[in-house]
Amino acid sequence: MDVFIDIQKHNPRGNLDQSIPDVLDVMTLLSLPDHLRKTAVTLCKLGQATAEEVAEQTKRARAVESGYLNQLMLMGYVKKERKGRKAYFYVEKEEKE
Amino acid sequence: MGKIIAFHSYKGGTGKTLLSINLAATYAKRGKSVCLFDLDFRAPSLHAAFATDGVGCWLNEYLNGTCDIKKVLIDLSGQHGNGGKFYTGLANPTTEAIRDMSAKDRKWEMRALGRLLSLKNSLLNDMHLDYLIFDTSPGLQYSSINAIVSADVVLVVTSLDTSDIKGTQRMTQELYDLFEKKTGILLNKVPAEMLTSESQKKNLYKKLNNIHTLPILEIIPCFCDILRAGGTQIFAEEQPDHPFTKTLEKIATKIENF
Repeated sequence: MDVFIDIQKHNPRGNLDQSIPDVLDVMTLLSLPDHLRKTAVTLCKLGQATAEEVAEQTKRARAVESGYLNQLMLMGYVKKERKGRKAYFYVEKEEKE
Repeated sequence: MGKIIAFHSYKGGTGKTLLSINLAATYAKRGKSVCLFDLDFRAPSLHAAFATDGVGCWLNEYLNGTCDIKKVLIDLSGQHGNGGKFYTGLANPTTEAIRDMSAKDRKWEMRALGRLLSLKNSLLNDMHLDYLIFDTSPGLQYSSINAIVSADVVLVVTSLDTSDIKGTQRMTQELYDLFEKKTGILLNKVPAEMLTSESQKKNLYKKLNNIHTLPILEIIPCFCDILRAGGTQIFAEEQPDHPFTKTLEKIATKIENF
């Protein structure tokens, strides 16, 4: 239920399509609920990370972070990529300049 | 590992730039490696405080992703090191650059946040700097919130002005608390007659602790000679026995143990 409310709040059109990303800027970070903000800020700091790596920083359980990261992904703020058995989350791929 | 310190305030003119320059000078005097960044892109001011032989790249260009951070750094250790390393990174003060920075979109701001966050790796880890000090824009600006999110310690400079107190209270609840940063208040420009005795000082601390939920790191008196100098002197370097310099020493030590 909480997940649903969060998604509705941040995605009023109910669009869960991962291909339409929203922007995870500081104003968005401010509007997120506390538990998701912590995860999102940590991911911003790490750049690209697994749920385990985020959990090491936030001192919360890996399964909890995995749930929050997937929530953020459904909201369109983060993306997920699988490399072998690991799932990596990121806000934006680093561009080669 | 080093620390990123952001100076912020609700209102302008509270003394962020003066305090950030003097805190950087205080750490340099202690043999630390510091870099002072001008993140006030709406009203850049650090370029006026330091004499430089030209700028390789402005901080604006680094945030645009068109320049490496190493080209932004200006080494002022010769003039301001006093035993440590003193670098600065300047914001472009031209009207065109200010206009350009105020027209950035949310995606740009998101990337700018990523670039500020990556300074921790490039400057604190790789270059082994001890402190990065961010002088930010007042109020709720993208650039200042980006700086707050990137910082380890946030120093909120406030005055006794009622609107400043109310604004700072609001920002505490709606900004600083949300990002769970180590945040402290510096009450600046306090009239000297309010601090003539220890009991007066104690009462003021008590009053402030009832107003603010954040810790009061220091009360800084208003010094007429600092106002008279008009930003042409770095007191922490040039006047080691001045009470302002002594206050900065106390603040620097408190942040080291914060």
